[in-house]
Amino acid sequence: MTLAADERVADVGLARRLLIRPELGAVVGLVVVFVFFASQSPVFRSLDGIANWLDPAATLGIMAVAVALLMIGGEFDLSAGVLTGTSGLILVTLATRYGFSVWAAMLVGLVVALAIGLANGLVVTRTRLPSFIVTLGTFLMLQGLNLGVTKAITGTVQVSGLRRASGFEAANAILAGTIQIGGTSFRVAILWWILVTAVATWVLMRSKAGNWIFAVGGNEQAARAVGVAAARTKIALFMTTAFAAWLVGSILALRYTSVQANIGIGQEFIYIIAAVIGGCLLTGGYGSAIGAAIGAVIFGMADKGIVFLGWNADWFKFFLGAMLLLATLANRLVRRYAEEVKH
Amino acid sequence: MRRTPIVLALLGALAVSGCSSSGGQSAQSAPAASSAAAPAAASASFAVITHAGAGDSFWDVVKNGAEAAGKQYGVKVTYQGDGDPAKQSQLIDQAVSEKVDGIVVSMANPDALKEAIGKAVAAKIPVVTINSGADSSKAFGAITHVGQSEDVAGRGAGEQLKAAGVTKLLCVIHEAGNVGLDQRCKGAEQTLGGTVERLQVDVSNLADVTSKVTAKLQSDKQVNGVLALNPAVAIAARDAIKDSGSPAKLATFDLSGDVVSAIKDGEILFAVDQQQYLQGYLPITFLNLYKNNLNTVGGGLPVNTGPGFVTKDNAEQVAKLAEAGTR
Amino acid sequence: MILETRGIGKTFGSVLALREVSMGVRAGEVTCVLGDNGAGKSTLIKILAGVHQHDAGSLLVDGQEVRFASPRDALDRGIATVYQDLAMIPLMSVWRNFFLGSEPTKGLAFDVAKARKVAREELRAMGIDIRDVDQPVGTLSGGERQSVAIARAVYFGARVLILDEPTSALGVKQAGVVLRYIARARDRGLGVVFITHNPHHAYPVGDRFLLLNRGASVGEYGKADITTQELTALMAGGAELEELAHELRRE
Repeated sequence: MTLAADERVADVGLARRLLIRPELGAVVGLVVVFVFFASQSPVFRSLDGIANWLDPAATLGIMAVAVALLMIGGEFDLSAGVLTGTSGLILVTLATRYGFSVWAAMLVGLVVALAIGLANGLVVTRTRLPSFIVTLGTFLMLQGLNLGVTKAITGTVQVSGLRRASGFEAANAILAGTIQIGGTSFRVAILWWILVTAVATWVLMRSKAGNWIFAVGGNEQAARAVGVAAARTKIALFMTTAFAAWLVGSILALRYTSVQANIGIGQEFIYIIAAVIGGCLLTGGYGSAIGAAIGAVIFGMADKGIVFLGWNADWFKFFLGAMLLLATLANRLVRRYAEEVKH
Repeated sequence: MRRTPIVLALLGALAVSGCSSSGGQSAQSAPAASSAAAPAAASASFAVITHAGAGDSFWDVVKNGAEAAGKQYGVKVTYQGDGDPAKQSQLIDQAVSEKVDGIVVSMANPDALKEAIGKAVAAKIPVVTINSGADSSKAFGAITHVGQSEDVAGRGAGEQLKAAGVTKLLCVIHEAGNVGLDQRCKGAEQTLGGTVERLQVDVSNLADVTSKVTAKLQSDKQVNGVLALNPAVAIAARDAIKDSGSPAKLATFDLSGDVVSAIKDGEILFAVDQQQYLQGYLPITFLNLYKNNLNTVGGGLPVNTGPGFVTKDNAEQVAKLAEAGTR
Repeated sequence: MILETRGIGKTFGSVLALREVSMGVRAGEVTCVLGDNGAGKSTLIKILAGVHQHDAGSLLVDGQEVRFASPRDALDRGIATVYQDLAMIPLMSVWRNFFLGSEPTKGLAFDVAKARKVAREELRAMGIDIRDVDQPVGTLSGGERQSVAIARAVYFGARVLILDEPTSALGVKQAGVVLRYIARARDRGLGVVFITHNPHHAYPVGDRFLLLNRGASVGEYGKADITTQELTALMAGGAELEELAHELRRE
C-alpha cells in the first residue's frame, strides 16, 4: 500500500509542484511581453536592445527582490525608493565636499541606510502600526531631508562631481561598470541583480530564516506561538530593503556621478508592482524572489519596448499601465488554473 | 471558461499595437516590391531626447519645431523626454542601439549624460545639444549647442529696461539653486546701470508670489522695475503691481498666452522669448545637413535662438502664432 | 505528575479570570478541562503554555516549582500546546509547518529533504494518511490539520500535550478522528490536557476531569467517580439548568 501511495505522490507531486509555483504566472507574462515587442522591433531582440532593457530591469530588480522578501513577511516599505536617493546623496556629498574617499562615503551611506531600516523595523514591531503608514512617514521625512539638506549644503537641488573623488575609478568599475558580451556592453548592475536574486531565493527556500519569513507573513500570531522570533525577522527584512536601497543608490550615483535630490520618489510603488507580478500576495505569506526579478524584467521590457516601437511619447504612461495590468492578469489566470488542477 | 476573454484581450492588444505604430513600421511590412532597406518616405531618423516629460507647454513648442522640420525634410523625428537624468541617459543609449542618424539632447544635468553622449559620439552619431548645458556641449563632443545664452538674454533685457527708464530692478527668482536663472539676473545687472535686487519666491505657490512682490513694492518705493523669469510668475507679479498701485514696469522671460495678452494690454513691457521653436527646428536642420553634406554649424560656438523680444508692436501676431503652437 | 497547578490564580486588571485552581496530568493519562464559555479554560492553558504568568499559587513541572518566561520556555520543558486556531500557517506546506520554529539544519541550510521525509514518516506513524506533504496546510480538512499539529508536538518530544478545544469546530466524524489521535498520543506515553466544552467528547478519552465555572474549580474527578450525565449537569450548573427548563416550559 505504501509503495502505491508513493508512486501516486511522485506523479501528481511534480506536475502540481510546477504549476503552483508563484513564479509561473510571471514567466508566462514575461514570454507574452517579450514576444509582443520582439516580434515588432528587431532592435528590441538584438543583443544591443537586450542590454538596453536589462539595465533598468537590474536596478529595479534589486529593489523588487528585497521588497518582495518584505512583502512575503507581511509588511510594506514605502521609503525604499527615496532611500536610494538618500544613499546616493550621502555618497556624493561626502566624497565631493568633505574629502571622503568614495569607499568611506559609501560605508557611511550603508550605516545610515541600515539605521533607517532598523528604525522602520523597530517602530513597526513595537507600535504595531501598519507598516504602510510607518514607512509612508519615513518616506516623507526622507523626501524633505533629501531636498532640504542638499539645498542647505550646496545651494542647488543636486550634488555632482563624483568623478574627481578618490577611489572613484575602482568603485565605478565594480558597481557601475560594464562587461563585454558578444561585442555589446552589459551593465555590471545586471550581475549584482542576479547575485541578489540568487541569495534571496536561497534564503527563502533553503534556510531557517526563509521559513520564518513565510510564517510571519502568513500568520504572525501562529508563528510567535511556535517560537519564531517574529520581531527580529521583520526588523531584518526592513534592514534588507534598506541595504538594497543603498546598493542601488550607490550604483546610480557612481554611474551618473551626480544625484538629484528628488530621485527615487515614485519608485516605491513600482517595486511593489514588480513583486506582485512575481506572485507576491499583498497580504503576505506567499511569493517568490525569482518572480519579483521576472516582474522587474517585464517592467524593463515594457518601459524600453514602448520606446523601440516608436509609440507616441504622450501615450507612454497609458501603454505602460495597460501592459502591466495584462501581465498581472496573466499571472492571476495561471495561478487559478494551477489551483483548479490541484483539486 | 474564464480564460477565453483574457486570451482575447491579449490578442487584441497585439493587434491594436500593430495598428497604432508609427508610419515607418507599416512601410516595412509592405510587399516585397519595395525591397529597399529603408522606405523612401523616411531617409533618415533623428531622436530628440529632452529633460522634460510629456505635456509641458514650453517643450511642446520645441517638439512642434522638431516635427515640422522632420516633415519639411522628409526625415523621421522621434521625441522623448524624462526629467530623471538616469532615464534620459537610458533613452540616449536606446537611440544609439537603434543606430539613429543624429541625436538632439537637452542637458539639465550634464554630468549624468556624459557617458551616454560619449557612447553616441564614439558610435559616430552626431549630437546637437539644446536649451541647457551649453558649457559642457563642446567638451562632450557635440557639434554645436542651440539655445539661449542666459547671460546674453539677461543683458538684452537689462538694455531694454534701461531704455524704459528703470533704475532699481527687482529680479524675481522662482527656483532656488537654478544657475540659469541667476545668470539672467546677473546679465541684466551688467547693462541696467542701476541696482538689481533679487527676490526669492516659490513657483509652485503663485498666491505667495503675489503677496511677496506686493510687500516688496510697498516697502521699497524706489523699485521701479520688476523682472520675472517665468510666465506664471510674471502674471502673479502683474497682479502684485496692480494691488500695490505701484508705477513699476514689468518685464518677463518666456511666453504664455496670458503674458501675450498682458503685453497687448500694456501691463507687461516686453517678454524675452528664447524662441524654443528654433531649439527643435534648427537642430534637425543641422543634423540633416550633416548627414547629407557633412556640414557643421556654429564653428564650435553655440547658436543663439534668443533673446527675441515680444513687445506691444508684435504681440498681436505672436499671439496668433502661439495658438498654432509655433511660438 | 509531569505538570501540576496548585491553587493557581490570574487577574487581568480588575477581572479575576482564574482563582484557586488545582489540577495535574500524569504521563500516559488524559486530563480533561471542562467548562462553559468564559469559565477560564483558555486562561488556564495560556498559563500552562507559558503565554501568561500566574499571579497566585504555583505551577510545577516534575514536582519542581517553575515560572515560564515565554512560550519558548514551556516548549523547551516539553510542554507543547495545540491552539484552537492551530498555530499553523495556511499558505505554507505541511512539512514547513511541521518544522516551523525547530527547523533541522545541514550546515547553514534548512535541511529540506530531511524535513519532508521526517514529516511524512511521523504523520504515518500517527496513522495519519496525508497524500502529499507539499500541499498547503490550508487545503487540509479540520481534522487533518489537528492531526498534523498533534503529530508535530509528539515528534518534538512533548511530554505534555495541551489541546485547546480541538474538536469544537469539527463535525462528529472528524471529532472522532481527533479523539483517536489523542488516544494514540496518550498510548505513546504523553500526558494530555484536553480542554473542551463538550463532555461527550471528553468522557470517552479522559482519565481525570477538571470542571471550571467562572474561573474557579467546581471539582476534580477520576473517571471511575463520575458519569457523563453528571459531568454535563455539573458543567452547566445543574440548578441553573433546572430553573431555565422551568422558564422555558409551555404554560
